[in-house]
Amino acid sequence: MIEQIEGSRCPRCAVVVAPPARFCPHHPVEMVPEFLPGVGEIVTFTSLHSPPEGFRSPLHIAIVELDGGARFVCHGAATDGIKVGSKVAIEAVGQVYYFSHLGALDRARIFWRRTGRRGERVQAIARSWGKRAWQKLHREAS
Amino acid sequence: MVVGILGVGMTPFGRTARSLPDLMADAARTALGAAGLETPDAIIVATMNPEEFVGEGNFASHVATHMGFAHVPTLRVETATSSGAAAIYAAFASVASGLCRVVLVVGGEKMTHLPTPRVSELIGRSMDPYERSYGATMPALAGMISRALMTGHGVTLREISQVAVKNHANAARNPYAHFREPVSLDAVLGSRIVADPLRLYHCCPISDGAAAIVLTSGAAPVRIAGVGQGTDTLAVRHRPGLTSFAATGAAARAAFTMAGFGPERVDFAEVHDAFSPFELIALEDIGLVPPGKAGRATLDGETALDGRLPINPSGGLKARGHPLAATGIAQVVELFWQLTGQASGRQLQGEVALAHSIGGLATNNFVTLLERSR
Repeated sequence: MIEQIEGSRCPRCAVVVAPPARFCPHHPVEMVPEFLPGVGEIVTFTSLHSPPEGFRSPLHIAIVELDGGARFVCHGAATDGIKVGSKVAIEAVGQVYYFSHLGALDRARIFWRRTGRRGERVQAIARSWGKRAWQKLHREAS
Repeated sequence: MVVGILGVGMTPFGRTARSLPDLMADAARTALGAAGLETPDAIIVATMNPEEFVGEGNFASHVATHMGFAHVPTLRVETATSSGAAAIYAAFASVASGLCRVVLVVGGEKMTHLPTPRVSELIGRSMDPYERSYGATMPALAGMISRALMTGHGVTLREISQVAVKNHANAARNPYAHFREPVSLDAVLGSRIVADPLRLYHCCPISDGAAAIVLTSGAAPVRIAGVGQGTDTLAVRHRPGLTSFAATGAAARAAFTMAGFGPERVDFAEVHDAFSPFELIALEDIGLVPPGKAGRATLDGETALDGRLPINPSGGLKARGHPLAATGIAQVVELFWQLTGQASGRQLQGEVALAHSIGGLATNNFVTLLERSR
């Protein structure tokens, strides 16, 4: 399965945020929990060359608009081939969310899954991307 | 009630060994001297984070006592990097309501004694905690905003870079500026990448300094025609768009509504160019330039000192410098000098001027409109 990302929805204006917030940023209303598929589109990204203490340089950060509507901030192992509008999968590695590029085949598979078939493939792809990212980071760290 | 500016003062911006209370006293005494006053009815102090930057608390009383005003009612106002503009806003309300007749507004910050990563971390605390937990800093978010501008709105890196070139050229004529050397477009484009696509020369420096103005309900050479505040979500990811700041639009609408005129009356402006692309965004959000035209207008020289609409004659945050809470007040100091013919070397002609200040990542913005008294 695709990673499920915990978010919340405003019962008044239907805005969705991730991670969840107690109150809607736009209304003094308690939000209700909502899970979002960890798939979306790159809104923008940067490679930060003087990151704060505790982060490696360059630090790849992106804002991703999830298919469920919320915008999400996450890391990337690399930005090669990533453009504004690229379809990406989001996966948690430890406590941290990473984006990874989805090729044409991956996108097709996600489409099939939405139409109710062969969903397990997507899980495998997302997991392998996540693992690859995690391993690469580990290599860089050591 | 009409609220006017009676006198202004500021210290040179840059790197100094002087203490923050001393810097603020210097700016305040210059402003009071220019206003022909010894003691104001009240003081509003603006500092973003003296607790962390200089290790002092209860800063309103600290500064007032340091200046010999232990018995003058003083309070402190804070809205991150727009604290200076917020203090002017609060002082305006105080005078306009009749609560006080003459109010001193003084803002300052001292940061250059700390290592740059520490300063960045402290300024970064004005951002959303979740976004910070991903290593996002002000330059990182500015880099992401730059990419969104360049991808979705056809803004070019040359246009963004020309903002820095222009503001450095202006600062070369301003004896109070942090940087007084012009830079070339190639030097800006060739400077090291901070947060791709943002270069080092697109970012404002870390500066020390203070600025002050005296507001009055009596006759004054310049009047405050309008003030406006606009706010937005702390988290950038909670906003529907990245290439326009809703807080600026709201602040500008409020200020123009109060003034009873629109952006077409503005002759020149000081805007918050903490990062060069922010100047382009501000021009369009305020309505000084039609949507999508700010980059082209900048490259064509429309916003230069000799252009149709001079922007940041002081050199802006980029080159005059950005001692956080001093900045919003220093913008008004520059505009006061311009409106009263005291900006030698960079003197502009005009009746109406606008100051625009951004707090945090455009979470708490202010627009102030000034008009020369007739």
